[in-house]
Amino acid sequence: MSGPVMDPRFAPPFPEAALPILQNTQLRKNVAHATDVIQAKRNHLVAEKKDWQELRTSAAGIRAHVLANLASYLEEFETNCTAAGGVVHWARDAAEARQIILDILREEKASEVIKIKTMTSAEIQLNPALEAAGITAIETDLAELILQLGEDEASHIVVPALHVNRHQVRDIFARRMGLPQLADDPEALTAAARTYLRKKFLSVPTAISGANFLIAETGSVAIVESEGNGRMCLTLPKTLIALAGIEKVLPRFSDLEVLLQVLARSATGERLNPYNSLWSGVTAGDGPQRFHVVLLDNVRSEILGRKVERQTLQCIRCAACLNTCPVYRQTGGHAYGSPYGGPIGAILTPQLEHMRHAQSLPYASSLCAACYEVCPVKINIPEVLIDLRAQVVDQEREESRRWFDPMYIGMKAANFAFGSGARFRMAQRFGKLGLRLFTGKDGWIRKLPSLGARWTLSRDLPAMPDQTFRQWWTERESGRGKEETR
Amino acid sequence: MTSNSRQAILDRVRAATLADTDRYEDVPRSYIRTGTLDSQSRVHLMTERLHEYGAEVVECAPADLPHIVVRQLQQSGRHHFVAPPGVPEEWMGNSVSWLIDQNLSHEQIEQCDGVLTAASAGVAESGTIVLHHGPTEGRRVISLLPDFHLCILRASQIVETLPEYFALSSDPPRLATYISGPSATADIEMTRIKGVHGPRFLSVIIVRDDS
Amino acid sequence: MRASLFITCYNDTLFPQTGRAVVRLLERLGVDIDFLPAQTCCGQMHANTGFRGEAYSQAKRFVQLYRDTECVVIPSSSCVAMIRDQYAGLFEELGNEELRRQLAALLPRVFELSEFIIDKLGVDDVGAHFPHRVAYHASCHGLRGLHIGERPFKLLSKVRGLELVPVANLDRCCGFGGTFSVKNAEVSTAMLDAKLIDLLATNAEYCTALDNSCLMHVGGALHRRNLKMKPIHLAEILASTEASAT
Repeated sequence: MSGPVMDPRFAPPFPEAALPILQNTQLRKNVAHATDVIQAKRNHLVAEKKDWQELRTSAAGIRAHVLANLASYLEEFETNCTAAGGVVHWARDAAEARQIILDILREEKASEVIKIKTMTSAEIQLNPALEAAGITAIETDLAELILQLGEDEASHIVVPALHVNRHQVRDIFARRMGLPQLADDPEALTAAARTYLRKKFLSVPTAISGANFLIAETGSVAIVESEGNGRMCLTLPKTLIALAGIEKVLPRFSDLEVLLQVLARSATGERLNPYNSLWSGVTAGDGPQRFHVVLLDNVRSEILGRKVERQTLQCIRCAACLNTCPVYRQTGGHAYGSPYGGPIGAILTPQLEHMRHAQSLPYASSLCAACYEVCPVKINIPEVLIDLRAQVVDQEREESRRWFDPMYIGMKAANFAFGSGARFRMAQRFGKLGLRLFTGKDGWIRKLPSLGARWTLSRDLPAMPDQTFRQWWTERESGRGKEETR
Repeated sequence: MTSNSRQAILDRVRAATLADTDRYEDVPRSYIRTGTLDSQSRVHLMTERLHEYGAEVVECAPADLPHIVVRQLQQSGRHHFVAPPGVPEEWMGNSVSWLIDQNLSHEQIEQCDGVLTAASAGVAESGTIVLHHGPTEGRRVISLLPDFHLCILRASQIVETLPEYFALSSDPPRLATYISGPSATADIEMTRIKGVHGPRFLSVIIVRDDS
Repeated sequence: MRASLFITCYNDTLFPQTGRAVVRLLERLGVDIDFLPAQTCCGQMHANTGFRGEAYSQAKRFVQLYRDTECVVIPSSSCVAMIRDQYAGLFEELGNEELRRQLAALLPRVFELSEFIIDKLGVDDVGAHFPHRVAYHASCHGLRGLHIGERPFKLLSKVRGLELVPVANLDRCCGFGGTFSVKNAEVSTAMLDAKLIDLLATNAEYCTALDNSCLMHVGGALHRRNLKMKPIHLAEILASTEASAT
């Protein structure tokens, strides 16, 4: 059984992908429960933090500043990381990143790697490439382990298996770990994972991680986590490879005082996550003696150059936007067909595909702006969504299929009608005539054709009233003997 | 090959940011930098937060530290401890067996069920213990593998806010681990389970060197 | 006090009773209302669907039409949000200096209805009478775009006979979202289902809001499912007196 398609090049459009999930009551319940829990914790701690808005402002300011000076901070990071004994690689795209990592692993003669959760590795489709090269990738985050053993895909950036409940986890572990008597309480399941993974931590000499932050001033990498598998992978192996998007840089070590505060509260509703780890290059006698950083561009430098879209790169992957999104609440992450789902996924994913794929994602939003309100780095996601929609439409303007698209035709017709008061009145008259066909005796419309059928799927429409407002106004004014204005 | 990529990426990044003139000093910083609590209240807050995480906390006067350490070790129910090379002899006592970490193998450390370390700082607001992994805190592995971690934290090392910790270190640490509770996961139905990997039990002795 | 009513394209066509109520209400409050018949649409539907050039031409018409008015009153928070949030960007990209200047001069004179009454007229008791149990639905654009805050609540609290019942998860979107409601009809419906659970739990007779767009969506489902609760725009509640019928 293969899981949902999480490759934006092949995933079905959002409205289609959402359909089976909307039927899946269990999943929707799990998603609602999980997001409710995190949101409640987040809201409580945000209310407690008297300088929350000031922290957001600074976090946004630091991230925007980094992006505006990205080249020099990347160079500073590289210099300092190298001086500390790390090796810095640069990957223009996903293919190059995969190649760099495979080359390192081949040099190490690695047959297995232990991995800390990193969405970036899903973005570059790393695991299939490792498999093809005969290297077993072992996910060590509990959620990623659940997904890997269950042949499933992440549906959330921070809590990737939130769509899976305890019974489902029990079944997966019982089958794949050979534990038929396994109980289904979270304690027992977690203990099973602990035992299973401990052997791996102590034996596999190569690890791959992501990075929450790269510190330019010191050439350090910071990883934020809860379970301790990060510490295991960062400390025990001989070789460590950290894969990081180029936007992950922070200028100074002390900038963590802002980012760690907003990240933890936003991501898991904690003041700080249980474990934050920071290391610089290689330290003799302590931890991996070979350390590589793979800096990944993969369209980020392009996004950087777009005025409205640049803010997408401020993201610190907290997933607060997913937790608050009323659309995500109904569909979970799989409907987005990408490792990045929810509001940030809706803007990041199509951009990573040069707007050639995932064009339905910018429309997977009601523009309610709840995401913007909670984003710790103040990304105006609705603003970016609207700009991306304009890019999608501009693409469509070049295509002949637009004349068969009822939405396109409807928009052009409406724009024409809005061109003057007279045209609008005309359109209202035609509309009224047309809608009469569909209006029941009780003055309600229950079924419309074409795009209208999407409305009447679940909603009735009141009949067009006998008199529009402007007709009423005109009558009233002439009744008062006033001259009709222009 | 990767150096071509390096140039290509930096060129693209520079082209995308040509017109930008942001200065680091201009980033607004109106968030709370310094706390308002006195030492007693800081210790109290730190203790409260540690308790929230299920950590054990005891206080002692500086003169009583060695005997309190021995007592905590005895009460831990653990028998085989690992300690960093810089930990004072008088902390160690005979009630448990000791391995001093002079380049121990992972297997040797795995045989230990407890670890004793000092700390570099405590952040009261989040109940965070900070290790910079110097001689009294030890390599990262020794506070990772054993199941029980006894940590000695001086009251004078406790600050209230996270920015205050960052203000302390004029030189950023090369290695740091920030512990804000025992490891936990909420990946299964959002039910918080303590102790996935890393020590499941944290016991802290706060030495009142502040009065 | 003079004010020009921008009725909005969809109110004009589908909910003229809201417009009539606005006129009745504001005239009762001593405002001299006019209506410029050249008006059509603020451009929001086009802007939010990605038809930026088209939205620009509508925005330009709006700004030029209302150049010389004292105030513009709009019974739709999403349209006001469009004007405040997006017009500047459209004119930055597609407009000219003159248009940007006109917009800057116009923006302080554009009001959503509850803003107009509370902020401009300085009144919260409009002499209304509406003896019913009412639930207020917080349209997202009003809530987050305009930071409408307490204004609708202040106005509703002074309506005689009205029992206002709180709605759980007040700040969660109903799922309308403009063309989202048709492009993602099934997800929109799932969001609507969740909103209805919270609304129906109030046992209110009426659901009110600042926007007929949300009400069309919620009301459309209420009718489809034969439920008793009825949608009603805030203007119509405020316009009601003992003497009149809505």
